[in-house]
Amino acid sequence: MFVWGESEGELGINFDHIWQKTLTVLNPLKPADGSIMNETDLAGPILFCVALGATLLLAGKVQFGYIYGMSGIGCLGIYALLNLMSSSGVSYGCVASVLGYCLLPMVILSGSAVFFSLQGMIGTVLALVIIVWCSLSASKIFISALDMEGQQLLVAYPCALLYGLFALLTVF
Amino acid sequence: MRKENCEGSKHRTRAAPDPPPLFDDTSGGYSIQPGGYPAPGADVAFNVNHLLGDPVANVAMAYGSSIASHGKDIVHKELHRFVSVNKLKYFFAVDTAYVAKKLGLLVFPYTHQNWEVQYSRDVPLPPRQDLNAPDLYIPTMAFITYVLLAGMALGIQKRFSPEVLGLCASTALVWVVLEVLALLLGVYLATVRSDLSTFHLLAYSGYKYVGMILSVLTGLLFGSDGYYVALAWTSSALMYFIVRSLRTAALGPDSMGAPAPRQRLQLYLTLGAAAFQPLIIYWLTFHLVR
Repeated sequence: MFVWGESEGELGINFDHIWQKTLTVLNPLKPADGSIMNETDLAGPILFCVALGATLLLAGKVQFGYIYGMSGIGCLGIYALLNLMSSSGVSYGCVASVLGYCLLPMVILSGSAVFFSLQGMIGTVLALVIIVWCSLSASKIFISALDMEGQQLLVAYPCALLYGLFALLTVF
Repeated sequence: MRKENCEGSKHRTRAAPDPPPLFDDTSGGYSIQPGGYPAPGADVAFNVNHLLGDPVANVAMAYGSSIASHGKDIVHKELHRFVSVNKLKYFFAVDTAYVAKKLGLLVFPYTHQNWEVQYSRDVPLPPRQDLNAPDLYIPTMAFITYVLLAGMALGIQKRFSPEVLGLCASTALVWVVLEVLALLLGVYLATVRSDLSTFHLLAYSGYKYVGMILSVLTGLLFGSDGYYVALAWTSSALMYFIVRSLRTAALGPDSMGAPAPRQRLQLYLTLGAAAFQPLIIYWLTFHLVR
């Protein structure tokens, strides 16, 4: 544990925080703590993006260009919207970090696409549930970190559009 | 152990003869005031910069961060030249209750009584507190949803490709720009002295995307007949909505002394803008519901 702690500090990656944020994403109904996004780290999101790409590759879809393009433009759009809607501003790194963390359920969806085809009623329902899950947790983290009240559904809708695009890539 | 090494190197370099001009020139925030604070300022700068214990890395990091902040400042300055962000923020101060009520109003505006935009000391109230105030959240979301829905509709008809999606998006965008320009020209010609800024006109011309989405959805679910029924309903609702809203908005907070021909011109402008909406809705959606 002594060696583990040292390498953690040297790399600048705080595994405990990553685990905490992952737990927040996995349980969308529990209210989030506003201070967890005080330090933006991209280690978790990058891990989830790689996992998503790997599961897509296993399912036979090689569309990395679209994934990168869509995520970049989508992050930029949500960054602009959040800056306009909230009283305090938000940095691009924070937006990218939150959106990347909430990509975790999408990895579950594309993982299940490896085992059975998603083009059918079950696949559509599963995709819709996962989209709602992702966007609810993303909006929950955003409004608790930026102190926006009465706007959770308004923030969840553009996130749902973005994750819907990801789900389209996964399903089709 | 690592902390000891850090402090040891700090002590060592503080004692050695360091080159102050190198640090002062390249690090953005630590420049020495002319003629003042030589020792304490330098010490503070060295404390922060020697966390990694490597002077070259510190110089690179400081230089990089100063370039990044300089770039961000340039982007902000250019952005503020074109768009007043504070005025834009007014249009996004919405909450869920406002959006829900406004969407209901766009679909069924006939029972709404009071269309006046409320002011507090000559400043219009934000959309959170006033249902009649225009906003830009609904038009923006409706536009993006329309583009995605168009892509999906084309995908269902097996005519999808990313280029077609881009074509849909740019066509719709061009129509929005043309309509806002035409409205601006009309407002200028009629010399209406009103609170209608460009963003107001953008908001009102963006509300028709809600009607478009409903028409396309109905057309996809219920076929061609459903499409025409939904088109007729949303067009009439939208025309009523625009005429009632723009008539009070164009007149502004004090509208007593406008002469008759100017009032008639304003009325014609509003009616013309309203009548143009169904044509655009039809033009942009009929090829999706075939």
